[in-house]
Amino acid sequence: MGVTCVCQVPVAEGKSVQQTVDLLHKKLEQLGAVKQGSFCVDCETYHATGNVSGQPSKLLYVMHNSETPLSCLALFEGGPCLVADANFDVLMVKLKSHFQNAKGHKVECRGSRYRYCDFLIKVGTVTMSSSARGISVEVEYCPCVVPGDCWNLMKEFMQSFLGTSVPELPSVFVAKPEGLFAPADCVDTVTQYLELFNKLRKLQIPGSNVR
Amino acid sequence: MADVVTVGVNLDAFSHAISGIQALRSSVSRVFESLKDGMKNRETLEGREKQFITEFQDNLQAVNRDLNELERLSGLVGRPSESHPLHNSGLLSLDPVQDKTPLYSQLLQAYKWSNKLQYHAGLASSLLNQQSLKRSANQMGASAKRRPKVQPSTLVLPPQYVDDVISRIGRMFPDMTIELFRPNGTSAVLLVTLGKVLKAIVVMRSLFIDRTVVRGFNENVYNEDGKLDIWTKSQYQVFQKVTDHATTALLHYQLPQMPDVVVRSFMTWLRSYIKLFQSSCQRCGRFLQDGLPPTWRDFRTLEAFHDTCRM
Repeated sequence: MGVTCVCQVPVAEGKSVQQTVDLLHKKLEQLGAVKQGSFCVDCETYHATGNVSGQPSKLLYVMHNSETPLSCLALFEGGPCLVADANFDVLMVKLKSHFQNAKGHKVECRGSRYRYCDFLIKVGTVTMSSSARGISVEVEYCPCVVPGDCWNLMKEFMQSFLGTSVPELPSVFVAKPEGLFAPADCVDTVTQYLELFNKLRKLQIPGSNVR
Repeated sequence: MADVVTVGVNLDAFSHAISGIQALRSSVSRVFESLKDGMKNRETLEGREKQFITEFQDNLQAVNRDLNELERLSGLVGRPSESHPLHNSGLLSLDPVQDKTPLYSQLLQAYKWSNKLQYHAGLASSLLNQQSLKRSANQMGASAKRRPKVQPSTLVLPPQYVDDVISRIGRMFPDMTIELFRPNGTSAVLLVTLGKVLKAIVVMRSLFIDRTVVRGFNENVYNEDGKLDIWTKSQYQVFQKVTDHATTALLHYQLPQMPDVVVRSFMTWLRSYIKLFQSSCQRCGRFLQDGLPPTWRDFRTLEAFHDTCRM
């Protein structure tokens, strides 16, 4: 478990989502990365019922990450996060009265996983109700656990295959004091994915993205 | 050809001696000619005999004179230098066919080369002897029989002394913690935790550093028994490289007589890795080379270089 950074890659001009993803794969393979299977991150939304009327109901997000297949994370946006066993999904079914599943809001990100030296790169397509919304790239630098230390290093690496669309330091790291040890349960990663999903969800309203 | 034999020879007298030889030869041949010619024609027999005898005597006296002259001149010529550079083999120079058998010149070159080689080897050995390269504290050059049966003192240090030295060094550096274990007998095994960057396991032999393994901060240092795992390599390439460099470092810092200085230098060097992921290479300015950050730290200046960029 190292420092992870999730960012969104804009779709290339005049190309489809799939073509852009293929372009990225090619660039990675040119760099010398080796494909190591696939990954999947998904997110389900639950409305909290029984709240005080007038207040918007809080949204509970239940996420899974193939990197930690036996775990399930439940988090409120900007709020506390719970790391639970995979059976948590079943528990949510039992808690139907308190949390309602917002079907149709399920977001998934699937793609291939590459390994280059000590980096893990995951290029995925974000789909919401089977329509591709965007491209996500997750870069993990495994040996380091302090985000502030290796940020420049990761930025240089991302520049080498993403070109100009390199993100800033993710907000999860900015919010924490400098030099904090990233815990080994991928909470930070999943939080970043959630931010990305929400951003892509909001983009739906002006019209669907390029197909 | 002539460059060897000229020392000590008087060239002038030499040429005079050569003409003296020619004169002697001509007077001797005159003697034999007059004998061959026999008696010349004269009126009386006695006159002929007398003239023949006079002529003969003159010729013989000329020979005698020339011989004396030659002996005098040969005394002046002097001896060629006794100190041939190659003694008898210098005589090879006297009858050469230079193109086909350049024996003499090749011989001279071979001798000059071997003399130079000997000189340089002497210089090198005196320089190398100053810097002892042996990691043990044995006296150099002692044969197995003459080596004292007692082990040298720096190899048998009381464990308490080792503990003290290590704890003193640990206190020197605030961002580095050193824990000391003794899992196998009296050899100390140190677990050095450097900030949140790495953990290094250093196996010692009294106060000499024997081996080291460097792993990431989030890697497991204990094996299933709960003991320190001193054999498994790191799963990350960057730390495998750092382990190699650390092994080079422990071979570089050597002072058999003062092992605590060595340990301190090694720890100072290791401490420069606190900025392993933050530093860029001093030579190329980039952070990554083949996916690795600058893993080499110069032994004197502690500057960061990529493994391929180091000079």
